[in-house]
Amino acid sequence: MKRTVVWGLTWVMVLAGAGLGLADSIKIGLMAPVTGSWASEGEDMKHIVNLLAAELNAKGGLLGQQVEVVLEDDGGDPRTASLAAQRLATQGVKAVIGTYGSSVTEASQSIYDESSILQVANGSTAIRLTEKGLKYFFRTCPRDDEQGRVAAQTIQKMGFKKVAILHDNTSYAKGLADEGNALLKKDGVQIVFFDALTPGERDFTAILTKLKAAKPDVVFFTGYFPELGLILRQKKEMNWPVPFIGGDATNNPDLVKIAGKDAAAGYYFLSPPVPQDLPYEKTKAFLKSYTAKHGAAPGSIWAVLAGDGFLTVTEAIKTTKTTDPTKLAAFLHGGKQKISGLTGEIGFNAKGDRVGEVYRVYRVDAGGNFVLQAK
Amino acid sequence: MEEFFQQLTNGLAVGGIYALIALGYTMVYGVLKLINFAHGDLFTLGAYLGLSLLTSLGLSGRLGPLAGLLLLALLVMGFVALTGALLERAAYRPLRQSPRLSAVVSALGASIFLQNTIMLLYGARIHVYPQDILPKVAIDIGGLSIPLVRILVFVVSLLLMGALYLFIQRTRLGTAIRAAAIDQAAARLMGINVDQVILIVFLIGPGLGGVAGLLVGLYYGQVNFTMGWVYGLKAFTAAILGGIGNIPGAMVGGLILGVIEAMGAAYISVAWKDAIAFMVLIVILIVRPTGILGERVADKI
Repeated sequence: MKRTVVWGLTWVMVLAGAGLGLADSIKIGLMAPVTGSWASEGEDMKHIVNLLAAELNAKGGLLGQQVEVVLEDDGGDPRTASLAAQRLATQGVKAVIGTYGSSVTEASQSIYDESSILQVANGSTAIRLTEKGLKYFFRTCPRDDEQGRVAAQTIQKMGFKKVAILHDNTSYAKGLADEGNALLKKDGVQIVFFDALTPGERDFTAILTKLKAAKPDVVFFTGYFPELGLILRQKKEMNWPVPFIGGDATNNPDLVKIAGKDAAAGYYFLSPPVPQDLPYEKTKAFLKSYTAKHGAAPGSIWAVLAGDGFLTVTEAIKTTKTTDPTKLAAFLHGGKQKISGLTGEIGFNAKGDRVGEVYRVYRVDAGGNFVLQAK
Repeated sequence: MEEFFQQLTNGLAVGGIYALIALGYTMVYGVLKLINFAHGDLFTLGAYLGLSLLTSLGLSGRLGPLAGLLLLALLVMGFVALTGALLERAAYRPLRQSPRLSAVVSALGASIFLQNTIMLLYGARIHVYPQDILPKVAIDIGGLSIPLVRILVFVVSLLLMGALYLFIQRTRLGTAIRAAAIDQAAARLMGINVDQVILIVFLIGPGLGGVAGLLVGLYYGQVNFTMGWVYGLKAFTAAILGGIGNIPGAMVGGLILGVIEAMGAAYISVAWKDAIAFMVLIVILIVRPTGILGERVADKI
């Protein structure tokens, strides 16, 4: 009896091994939150990657083989994610796309690393993910500190010499304010004001009066939209024309409702572009076929970045003509790669972070619309 | 110097709102020795009711802006006053003879009930008053630019406070309220209907709180269901600062608190302005435990 079992198992393993060796498809994993509170993101990720895979296979696939997308649900939960990662690792995938939340990605990182599987995350922006020195980890989304960098650049490009920085003491807003402050100071920009407001309050005239006395050329606001709406409104009442520039936490249509169109007009903010604003012909065509198939465009940029993860992996396989994850990782780290993605050109630095700017500058026009600014 | 006066007007405008809300706390405390923790939520209710009435009735369109707003204010005041009276009936009167702690717990429960009711009725998202109801003009006075609406808000709160003061000091009912505040048992012996007095207090206090909510909604334009918490806390502080139970004290306390906040933000640090305001409160209470104008020591809570 025992013997039979052992033989049986051996045969299964041999067959499985042979199956992998003879397989005429390249398996790429997708780890996405198709259930749980981020399910809408997960659905979009799934649709985008499947559509890209279908397009690729229609053109003949990769290295003469078809590409097969293997989906595992991470539920937006770290524990579910580690199980999903283990399942994917045993299914012979060469690379995994995903996932959305930083803590969820973190739970799966070491599992993929130990199994030498390439991982390309799409929505995990926490800084530490790429600071661990993991060889097979990449991400197509920006890091949390990139926004500060882009903000500092934008402020300088606009020619402002005296900058006031206002945050609200939340870890996100304070982090962005500190980042911007350090970078601007290093470049010799004068910081004339650096302080925090209390979220949840309604009257910011005392702060505005103090800000005005500091005579800044521009105010960099790193907090959230409810406070900003009131600030812009009260600034307008004071007849103070100073321009404001803010972070992606102010990217909300309610901002214009709170501030009023005339007070919100002229406000600048940084944000990853909404999918419909991506300027590339290829992306527009893709979004068109996506909308035709699923009835609506993807809701956010993060799902589109999962598509970029898929393009990164497939393009790397095509160029290096191998599916060996070590060689693929070396190619992606090399810095010579120029992959054309849905959100522009994709390249990675030695840590696996995406090189180049994902953040764009938006401006509120007189009608209260958020208009993407030319770079 | 110009900045100083600008900050002074900023502080007074905010302080006027604090004072208006503080009156509700102080009146209830004066008569019942009870902190009505639901007062901040009655303020929120005023802001939301104002929004509903404004958008559904279109008053300012039909009656012209001034008469429309006046009618709106009266309606809000009436509704919130009624809610206040109902609250007294349901949450406080049954506990009149119970230990004071039970009434405080009941007040906290009423606060949570009201806040969640508002959230369920209107949703958790931020609501916005229609724009352009009030003219957005700033007036220049000696180099200071003060928005007209701020002056209007300040004047309205001063008028309401003045009217209340006259009512308390000069009318029979006011005298009855003062008598009940000093000694309920003695007032009852003098033939004063104390239950009626308490009912009136619970009409006036919440009514003023509701108007304050409407003013905040009209001026700042943005309301959400948790807004009563911050304003309630500040107004409660103002009431204690001025001497809780004392009506002119609530007015003075509110205005002073607003000015301290503005000055703290202007000359020390914006992020520390609340800490500064509360530090001043502690110092004042150490020097004068009854508050600036208070007569009696607040013995419990």
